[in-house]
Amino acid sequence: MRDVLYLAWRYLVYHRLKTVILVTSITLIVYLPVGLNVVVEQSGEHLTARAEATPLLVGAKGSPLELALNSLYFSPDYPELIDYSEATAVIDSGLATAIPLYVRFRSRSQPIVGTSLDYFEFHELAFASGRPMAVLGECVVGAAVAEALGVEVGDAVTSSPETVFDLAGVYPLRMRIAGVLEKAFTSDDDAIFVDVKTAWIIQGLGHGHQDLARPEAAASVLDRSEDNIVANAALLQYNEITADNADSFHFHGDLAGYPLTAVIAVPNDEKAGVILRGRYTHDETMSQIVRPVTVIDELLDTILTIQQFIVAAVVIVGLATIATAALVFMLSLRLRRREIDTMLKIGGSRPRVASILVAEIAIVIILSCVLATLITLLTWRFGPGVIESVVLS
Amino acid sequence: MRFSTHQIALIALLASLVACGAEERAIDTAGDEESLPTVYAVNYPLAYFAERIAGNTVEVVFPAPEDVDPAMWVPDVDTVARFQRADLVLLNGAGYAAWIQRVTLSQSRLVVTSAAFADRLIPVEDEVTHSHGPAGDHSHEGKAFTTWLDPEFAIEQARAVLGALLRLHPENESEYRERLATLEQDLRELDRELKDVSARIGDRRLLFSHPVYQYFERRYSLNGQSLHWEPGEMPDEVLWRELSGILSAHPANWMVWEGMPHPEAVSRLEGLGIRSVVFQPAGNRTESGDYMSVMQENLRALQQAFPTSAR
Repeated sequence: MRDVLYLAWRYLVYHRLKTVILVTSITLIVYLPVGLNVVVEQSGEHLTARAEATPLLVGAKGSPLELALNSLYFSPDYPELIDYSEATAVIDSGLATAIPLYVRFRSRSQPIVGTSLDYFEFHELAFASGRPMAVLGECVVGAAVAEALGVEVGDAVTSSPETVFDLAGVYPLRMRIAGVLEKAFTSDDDAIFVDVKTAWIIQGLGHGHQDLARPEAAASVLDRSEDNIVANAALLQYNEITADNADSFHFHGDLAGYPLTAVIAVPNDEKAGVILRGRYTHDETMSQIVRPVTVIDELLDTILTIQQFIVAAVVIVGLATIATAALVFMLSLRLRRREIDTMLKIGGSRPRVASILVAEIAIVIILSCVLATLITLLTWRFGPGVIESVVLS
Repeated sequence: MRFSTHQIALIALLASLVACGAEERAIDTAGDEESLPTVYAVNYPLAYFAERIAGNTVEVVFPAPEDVDPAMWVPDVDTVARFQRADLVLLNGAGYAAWIQRVTLSQSRLVVTSAAFADRLIPVEDEVTHSHGPAGDHSHEGKAFTTWLDPEFAIEQARAVLGALLRLHPENESEYRERLATLEQDLRELDRELKDVSARIGDRRLLFSHPVYQYFERRYSLNGQSLHWEPGEMPDEVLWRELSGILSAHPANWMVWEGMPHPEAVSRLEGLGIRSVVFQPAGNRTESGDYMSVMQENLRALQQAFPTSAR
């Protein structure tokens, strides 16, 4: 048997180009439907697990998918904004706990998630080092962020301006890292968490600046009357909140009107959840309440439909490839007529010669299957992340 | 009686097991004590209300040092971390303890005790507006925050405290409600007596050492004008000149102080025909007594200053 395998192997190695083409074709035909299935199933599980962990989302009326993707996976596209009063309305209902979310700004590519302490408790996020943010200007970074940026407790990250050319706009805010989270294997690993008020400061809704009544600020004062002081753009505004200037940070107007992208509502029980959803359904307000799991299921249904079309196409292409491979083998038998005759003349029995030809085919198929399995394993390991990033972008 | 080596070893083993059991029980007990829910308050009246209503079923913590005004006090990061771990944080609202805006606390544990009467808070506007950048003119306006000096508001705040405490211990509802009723009775009695005194004060012009008596003035229809004088300090000449200006439009005979005034200030005021009386807002703990005893002391001071035959 060894001699049969040896001769088959030597033949394949000698005709390496033909072998590589055959192995590649069969590998792809085996891998495509299996790999696609693995990717879709795993991504589905991953997306659904996060959605299932978030019972209800309150956001502005509009695309529920945009609301869910921004709130659960911190996608860069953010939904229409709602007022902070939506969070207090949920709390005041007595039916649910409200966790505000303001996912609008970034530090390089990492999303900055403005929220409250309840977020960590709700998602059971543990601290690898440090503590939750305690004062304005502090942040907590996810495990992947700490790894990617090489930062730890005591370092700082800086928010990125929304538009590079907006010179008169919001200045970047330098935020001290108070804590680093343990790996959670969710989108929380890639996020920078701040208090929602810090997110408002990034936007410029709250700010700290020199006291206009003090002599140091005199150079920045354009006009001073008994009851009004007008300052120019040279007024020193702080881009880092420190113990020395923290007291100067303030917000104008009623915080109830400040923006959020969403509110996570955690109902006290199932009945409370139903009542809360009912209130939004029958209310003609500008906000909506969605069950993220329903939204993500709809997304997955769409992906599954596409998957079915792709699999059907792959099956047809696969049949064509198998037919082509069979043709290649048959043609090669004709081309190898003299070689086969020689083997018979030097004493090789017909079954022996046939087994060499079968072994060649078997080796090609086995090699293809092994390669397809390896690529499927790689897909299983890295595929969901790639697909998720494609879906979220 | 003699013990063999085996017997001694057995006794030692039993003894250590008993000791371990006792130690475990001790740890359990400590655990029970530790497991008492913690309630943090931003001022003493709220801490007092929580203590009166909850008794020893919760641990009430009011961390501000005794020598500071809790409204202006800013806790350090460690204290903020303790606030973060509290089961409930009782806020006064109306902008009291502005540091709350600059820290991260769990929304679900915050209780704004003045929420029920938010529409009746007294606005206080910064006289100077300023503008810089695209935000336009703005001033740092706020609300008067010494809400508890109106006993009706104090009762509302105590009710808010009760509501929050019931979230922690719903099984104690009847007990808590009973204690709240007693507290309300005390506050109503105080209110009634203050009304009697205020009737005697009538429309006499008063001076207040600090602008913290807005709710007290409104509740008892007092005709007062507030200064910015520190009780323990002798006011400088600028403040005296400011007082002269005020007196020309508002000739007052009494100055109500937040705390014991500087003796020199008292005698100079007397020279101007102004007598002094102390009415402590009790925002912080006092060296002796509790909130009600401080209020009773305030009441007695007013009763002495404005006796029945005063009108």
